[in-house]
Amino acid sequence: MSQITLTGVSRAFGKVGVLHDINLNILDGELIVFVGPSGCGKSTLLRLIAGLDRPTGGAIAIDGKDVTTVPAADRGLAMVFQSYALYPHMSVRQNLAFGLENARMARAEIDARIAEAARMLEIAPYLDRRPGQLSGGQRQRVAIGRAIVRNPTAFLLDEPLSNLDAELRISTRAELAALHERLSATMVYVTHDQIEAMTLADRIVVLRAGRIEQIGTPLDLYNHPANLFVAGFIGAPRMNFLPVKVAAGGTGRSSLTLDGSAGFEIDGNVSAVNGDVTLGQRPHHISLADAGKGDIAARVALVEALGSETIVHTKTSGGQTMLAVVAGQCPVASGDTVDLKFDTSHLHLFDDTGQRIAVS
Amino acid sequence: MADVRNGIATRAGAMILAPVGWLANLFDSPLRMLQRRTGSNGMAVFFLAPNMLVFGIFVLFPLVINILYSMTGGGALFLGDRTFVGADQYGRLFSCSSYLDPKSCIEDLFWIAVWNTLAFVVLQVAMMVAVALVTALVLNRELRARSFWRAVFFFPVLLSPVVVGLIWRWILQRQGLLNLMVFEAGGTPVNWLVERNWAFTAAIMVSVWAHVGFYALILLAGLQAIPKDLYEAAEMDGTRPLRVFWRITLPLLAPNLLVVLVLTLIRAVQIFDEVYVLTGGGPGTSTLFLTQYIYEVGFASMLRNPGLASAASILMGAVLVVLTLIQLGIARRNEQRGKMR
Repeated sequence: MSQITLTGVSRAFGKVGVLHDINLNILDGELIVFVGPSGCGKSTLLRLIAGLDRPTGGAIAIDGKDVTTVPAADRGLAMVFQSYALYPHMSVRQNLAFGLENARMARAEIDARIAEAARMLEIAPYLDRRPGQLSGGQRQRVAIGRAIVRNPTAFLLDEPLSNLDAELRISTRAELAALHERLSATMVYVTHDQIEAMTLADRIVVLRAGRIEQIGTPLDLYNHPANLFVAGFIGAPRMNFLPVKVAAGGTGRSSLTLDGSAGFEIDGNVSAVNGDVTLGQRPHHISLADAGKGDIAARVALVEALGSETIVHTKTSGGQTMLAVVAGQCPVASGDTVDLKFDTSHLHLFDDTGQRIAVS
Repeated sequence: MADVRNGIATRAGAMILAPVGWLANLFDSPLRMLQRRTGSNGMAVFFLAPNMLVFGIFVLFPLVINILYSMTGGGALFLGDRTFVGADQYGRLFSCSSYLDPKSCIEDLFWIAVWNTLAFVVLQVAMMVAVALVTALVLNRELRARSFWRAVFFFPVLLSPVVVGLIWRWILQRQGLLNLMVFEAGGTPVNWLVERNWAFTAAIMVSVWAHVGFYALILLAGLQAIPKDLYEAAEMDGTRPLRVFWRITLPLLAPNLLVVLVLTLIRAVQIFDEVYVLTGGGPGTSTLFLTQYIYEVGFASMLRNPGLASAASILMGAVLVVLTLIQLGIARRNEQRGKMR
């Protein structure tokens, strides 16, 4: 198992910078997830760690040893590709054995490792089939098996679930989490799906436009997003944002005034008092109140009844779209006017640069 | 303004469509009547008939005539003037004490051409596939001006075989460009087209040069269809470049290689024009191939024997049919494999 350290890593293609000054320490045995929108550089970062691409600046170290210029094969890492990258003309057994044969491992040892991986991943019945004769989920297991048999110091997984259907993705996600638990291996996982990131990660690295926006545990990111981007990216449905004016309130309190409404007070002093800020509130922390008892009135635009909960899409008089997730089934319909009540203990405030404002 | 423009466009459209509509109406009634009488199968025959007629006149009829000619004897041109000899022409072609020794055959030139063609096919096909593969591998790399180099290698394919033959004759003749360069380099000029082995080698090299671009293109398409991920997976697996070639590139390129192999085989068996212009079959009979033999026996020699030429061409056709069937079989298998992936 190993620790991976990235120091000031950057990557540019010609004049286009894709990654900028990435500093990151991936701990031994940790499952770290790179998450971000398409084109944010997460796969490029994974390829740099893998050795399939070279950084234009900075250094990469594995267990303290600088591997920046070390070829991929000599880094002791294994990668699971988005497309699985299984050799289509080889059987599953040959696919699993290929890397070990390259290392001139004894046949008996190769067979033992394949048998162990096949047992662990339940692919033993398919060992003599070709990838083309397997389902998407089975191929995915073979791809993981190919990584496991090499007994690598760390696993690199590039969106391994993106080609699976929704149901299979959920079950495979659980299997991956169990596998990480069993192997206690360092895993670097790339995804654009924040639910995958939240459910699998020990820590999440949120990337945007080649820069790290925030690193933290899933709940850290959910509860204390460092900026507007992270707040909007982590959590589903995404956080609601409203422009508000903040001012000093009563002793140890701050007053927030919403556009076109009376506003309310929250506990704590906001460091950027007397200014325009952005208020963030997750849909799960907004409730529907009786008329006149909420913080803001809004018109219902759409109701999504999911059975266990109802997602109510509303529009405020200021034109902002606000979502509320109400437990159970909610008797509202499109066109109704409702009062939205904020949970003041779960409010997030961001300054005009989009950075989180501390409430002391 | 826009309304006026739309109006003009509508009127112009109507003017163009009017004769089409008139023609459609003209044919509508007779076609409907035909369909009522013959049913939909009859309509299919009606529409296929022109194509079948062309195929019949230009392919089927000459084939049948050729078979009939191969069963006649004499120098007369018209079939009606010729004598029916049954399988005598085939018997004459196969009349040998030893097929390995053309001199022991009645039609020694036929067997010289057969063995020359066989040697040519083996050497030229091997060289063609190897050169096309190397060319495709090189052109698949990240080269500067890659499109330019691809065009350069494909350019000879666009040339007429006669032009190819003439270009290389100017280069290889005794006072040609190659000997000039040899002489300038201090070497002794060689009679490239006069010495037997050199002439045969030249025939192979020239035909490879003329057609390699086409086959390299087929292989290049195959190489580009191999997912890049597989090479990256191999890199992660610590695979050495030569092993990557043998274990990944070559097996995945096999379908394209098979197509190239069979197409090259078919073309090599039919070799004629560029070599005929280059060497005329010489020196002696060292570059006399089957098609040239057929051409000369049928049309060019003093004692023309169209029956014998037809018999030889039927035999050559049979070989080509077998090769074509193999190619179709391979194409079908590739299609099925493609569906499985």
